[in-house]
Amino acid sequence: MIPSQAFTIATRIINQLIRDRRTMVLIVVVPLVVMTLIGLSFPEGTVLDYIAPALLATMALFFSFLLTGISFLRERSQGTMERLMASPVSRLDIVVGYLFGFFIFALLQTLIVVLFTIYALDVTYQGDLWQIFIFQIVIITAAVNLGIFISTFARNEFQMVQFIPLIIFPQIFLCGVIWPVEQMPNYLQWLSKILPLTYGVDGLRDIMLAGKSLLDVGFELAVLVGFAVVISIIAAFTLRRGAAG
Amino acid sequence: MVKRGPTAPAVEVDKASFSYNNIKAIDELSLQVPSGISFGLLGPNGAGKTTLIRLLVGLLKPKSGSVRILGKTPSRKTAHLIGYMPQLHSLYTELSVIQNVDFFARVYQLSDKHQRAQRVEEAIRLVDMWQRRKDSVLRLSGGMRQRVSLACAIVHNPPLLFLDEPTVGLDPELRVTFWEHFATLTKQGITLVISSHTMDDAAHCDRLAFMRDGKVIARGTPSELQQATGKPGATLEDAFLYFIHREDRSDS
Ligand SMILES: Nc1ncnc2c1ncn2[C@@H]1O[C@H](COP(=O)(O)OP(=O)(O)OP(=O)(O)O)[C@@H](O)[C@H]1O
Ligand SMILES: [Mg+2]
Repeated sequence: MIPSQAFTIATRIINQLIRDRRTMVLIVVVPLVVMTLIGLSFPEGTVLDYIAPALLATMALFFSFLLTGISFLRERSQGTMERLMASPVSRLDIVVGYLFGFFIFALLQTLIVVLFTIYALDVTYQGDLWQIFIFQIVIITAAVNLGIFISTFARNEFQMVQFIPLIIFPQIFLCGVIWPVEQMPNYLQWLSKILPLTYGVDGLRDIMLAGKSLLDVGFELAVLVGFAVVISIIAAFTLRRGAAG
Repeated sequence: MVKRGPTAPAVEVDKASFSYNNIKAIDELSLQVPSGISFGLLGPNGAGKTTLIRLLVGLLKPKSGSVRILGKTPSRKTAHLIGYMPQLHSLYTELSVIQNVDFFARVYQLSDKHQRAQRVEEAIRLVDMWQRRKDSVLRLSGGMRQRVSLACAIVHNPPLLFLDEPTVGLDPELRVTFWEHFATLTKQGITLVISSHTMDDAAHCDRLAFMRDGKVIARGTPSELQQATGKPGATLEDAFLYFIHREDRSDS
């Protein structure tokens, strides 16, 4: 049951991305460009201060989800999944391997984006920087697992592209990024409770705006971790041996 | 555990059927492959060769009937005993040749570093790609990718190999080298199941099964199949056409 081969898979993913220079550059540059444009679109610094934690949470979720989802899908379309499924590696090895592999890049991305937002866009924040990072790490973990899970459903790139707006847009509009969840109708508030970004936005705002600690946002952290664990177990199950084609 | 004698078949298929949705790809097919020989699966496009191999490596489960390799039902527990070269190249295109082969060596649990490095080098040299080992797969020609794909399948020295059209896209010289190597493998007691369209490949196999529409329409050694046509000097091509026409006649 121990995913002993996960490390092998993670190393391979890291090698793949490192050899692809252009992707490496884009992973860093694109979030900075997006963040800058959004930052500049707010005339008042105070509004940006309020929206920045939510944007950081959203970007962490969005980019990690996409990167993992697409590359997992490529594993299928280029036929290497067929090889892996016929080999002794377990489904859990694959899921955990992907998690570790992409985690490194998502982490790098988050570090750069958070530092850029705080120092280049001059967003003021409360709370400890390291606690912000820890919280972002938990969001990334959930997002990477979500990416794997969704791509076990999608059979090809077209289907995957359909899933992206389904995952992203409701979360941006229903999870309190732009307006508070409490102002929405009851049934939408209920829906927002099952979307992971709600907890990401809540927690990060508490830390960055109210100066709370990780302990104070323990509930949000626990929900995100729980989400990551449950979704990765489901992903390992949907990734059936017989489903390699 | 029941001890398996040296004569026990490496592959046993008993009235196995498989359909993709409504397409019947394998139709009550029965087949035995003795250990230590090269076994050719011959048949036109869509005959079910790939599907049969995917059943044997455990990627698909038969809807009815049974499939056994080395006396066991294919599963993750038997996965280390087999090597599988899919019909598609199935490689990580960003990675170099050596990174690809080394990855699959690790996947197949060659954990000793020196032993693994040695096996990886042997496998790459065998397919004559050692000079290009640092190149990304993206920069290789189709035939070269085919060679790297074979190296990935054999790197862990499995006793049973399934090669789905391994000689497609190879130049004639390399084709000869491949078959020489396949002969050395069978001498070591390794069993090879090879699918192909070409009668040139068929002539190299110890035994053959002609497939069509998910069924085996004839089986035997190449010379047995040639003789069955009743015409002296018949080629394997003639034999294949003879069996296909015989099927057609009995259908109508
Ligand atoms: N993934 C799939 N989904 C649906 N049908 C499939 C799938 N793969 C194969 N088939 C069908 O199953 C039948 C057998 O296909 P298979 O790939 O086993 O043939 P093959 O003998 O390997 O052919 P080729 O020589 O072209 O490789 C064909 O009718 C094909 O259309
Ligand atoms: Mg085929």
